[in-house]
Amino acid sequence: MIAIDILQDAFFAAIAGIGFGAISDPPLRAFRYIALLAAAGHATRYCLMTFLGVDIATGSLAASLLIGMLSLWAGRRSRCPMTVLYIPALLPMVPGRFAYNMVFSQLMFLQSMDNPAERTMYMDMFFSNTMVTCSVIFMLAVGATLPMFIFPKQAYTITRDNKYRSSWKFFGKR
Amino acid sequence: MEQNNKSILEAGKFIEEYSSHMMGCGVHTSRVIRSSKRIGEALGYNVRISVFQKSIILALHDKESGESYNEVIDIPALPISFEHNSALSALSWEAYDKHLTVAELRERYEKIISSPKMNPLFVLLMVGLANASFCRLFGGDWLSMGIVFFSTLAGFYLKQQMTADKINHFITFITSSFVASLCASMSLIFDTTSEIALATSVLFLVPGVPLINGVIDVIEGHILSGFSRLVHAALLIVCIATGLSFTLMLVKNSLL
Amino acid sequence: MEIFWQTIAAYNSATWIWQAVIILAGIAATAALVLRPNPATKIIMKLYMVILYLWIAIVYYGIWCAPRNYSNIMIIMWSVMALAWVWDAANGQTPFEKDKRYSVLAYIMLFMPFVYPMLSIARGMTFPTMTSPVMPCSVVTFTIGLLLLHSRKANLFIVLLLCHWAFIGLSKTYLYGIPEDFLMAAISIPAVYIFLKDRFIPSAKENTKPSPAILKGLLMTVSLCMGAILIYTIFRITEM
Repeated sequence: MIAIDILQDAFFAAIAGIGFGAISDPPLRAFRYIALLAAAGHATRYCLMTFLGVDIATGSLAASLLIGMLSLWAGRRSRCPMTVLYIPALLPMVPGRFAYNMVFSQLMFLQSMDNPAERTMYMDMFFSNTMVTCSVIFMLAVGATLPMFIFPKQAYTITRDNKYRSSWKFFGKR
Repeated sequence: MEQNNKSILEAGKFIEEYSSHMMGCGVHTSRVIRSSKRIGEALGYNVRISVFQKSIILALHDKESGESYNEVIDIPALPISFEHNSALSALSWEAYDKHLTVAELRERYEKIISSPKMNPLFVLLMVGLANASFCRLFGGDWLSMGIVFFSTLAGFYLKQQMTADKINHFITFITSSFVASLCASMSLIFDTTSEIALATSVLFLVPGVPLINGVIDVIEGHILSGFSRLVHAALLIVCIATGLSFTLMLVKNSLL
Repeated sequence: MEIFWQTIAAYNSATWIWQAVIILAGIAATAALVLRPNPATKIIMKLYMVILYLWIAIVYYGIWCAPRNYSNIMIIMWSVMALAWVWDAANGQTPFEKDKRYSVLAYIMLFMPFVYPMLSIARGMTFPTMTSPVMPCSVVTFTIGLLLLHSRKANLFIVLLLCHWAFIGLSKTYLYGIPEDFLMAAISIPAVYIFLKDRFIPSAKENTKPSPAILKGLLMTVSLCMGAILIYTIFRITEM
């Protein structure tokens, strides 16, 4: 049952990744990797949050680090820059419900200006939701981008024909 | 001398088109700079390039003859294209490794930018399915998924149309987010996870590419262009929120 | 559920004269457009659509269906569609060029508004507690039929909104047992398939991304899924 839950989560994340990728006109060969990355990332976050009780920001950081690392490998195989693969794969992890609650509580705050109790409640709701939304989005962006700075040589020569690449050195300078 | 002069002009024209096209279609700044310099190096020129959010200042310098070429280029507002991103990056390496001439480079470049775009129907249906699965990820039920699918179709088609009609894209974002969330708000009639449907119906508009490119640019030290991208993305997000709040105003009493 | 038929009864008994006028005007506008397609009749048809949609928004939902929950969403929804028709009339988006390929299906749909009341009578209902030709579901089928008769460059935004409406109608059918709305969903699936196929899928082996075969397959799959949902709903309804 747990396995089905995880697989289901990964499946829907993969479809979401493909769909959001399609907006940005990626090469057709990239789709399978986008799906794989999105599925792996979202399933990782799901597992971390459900089974280990990790909070959403840390979970997102771990998942996006995984996506970033995998995109380095997948980018070599499909000869696409890393951003092409990981931006669509990150989108299914955008904290949409918190963002929605943010908009909703702001609206309700403005509507209940003359009721101090409600006003405080919505203010509180607005700040906590904003905090979560912003930190999760920041973690997602940073986590996926980090591998690019850890392996600059690999990241920058990713679209180069293999024939011309010098030996594969880790932590190398450009 | 005459011959030389012509070739630096040709190379300069090519690199200016190449770099502005790359900036326009959503490539992060350091990649544009690296790729342009690489092409310049392959052709035997020193390239110095300075990128702003709306324009590029480009200077080519011939190491041997001492000639130089200067130009300020406007960055066109193109739709985001990852295909161009990867093909043009690969082109710069090809130029570097195979020592292509400017004419060959231009021929390949024209071929890349005239290749067909993703079919709009494919994008439309895939975005609909993606948003429906997104709804599922947040815990929506099957009925909400269906409603989100159709709301997204209507909202995204409106966005495609308005973009094709060259309407201001802030207005486009507000309108399509309003229409999509209005359609999704009909789920309130039913006993379903309508709050999730409302929340997910507008997420296809999230400007993920400028957001992440902005972060990359800032971290890599291109803070000006990074912040301009982030500000742009933030404005679009505010537009989405505005469109969504029009709908929320209508239905807020039933969401409490 | 009670309130649904109560509001319809109130609406019918209060506005039946006006409804008759709207129906006659609709027949006249459609006949003029089909027999003598020229710029004047095309504009008249679009204006008729604007008035019809505003009627549904203001008179039907705004006045008579106010007791129902969320009628305000419906008012805005139909106003948005009326606005889309205004935009269409101002820009000349839908050219209303006759397309003979789907005329059988199109004429069936154009005739559908009159089938609704008959269906209600067949179910043993009596005036005023029955569906009438000037109601959202009949207007949807009428519009789709009209656009199908002139399918080239039809305004797809309106079609997609109507399609959304049809899906909502289908869900209503499923949850509350109103078989009339079922017709609308059943005919809008093939219609939307035709619209999207004609607009976006190139006929020859053109160089598209992805290939036409994949596009067609995707569209077919989505339509078949909708069809499957529809058939599942029929079985549910007949069981009830």
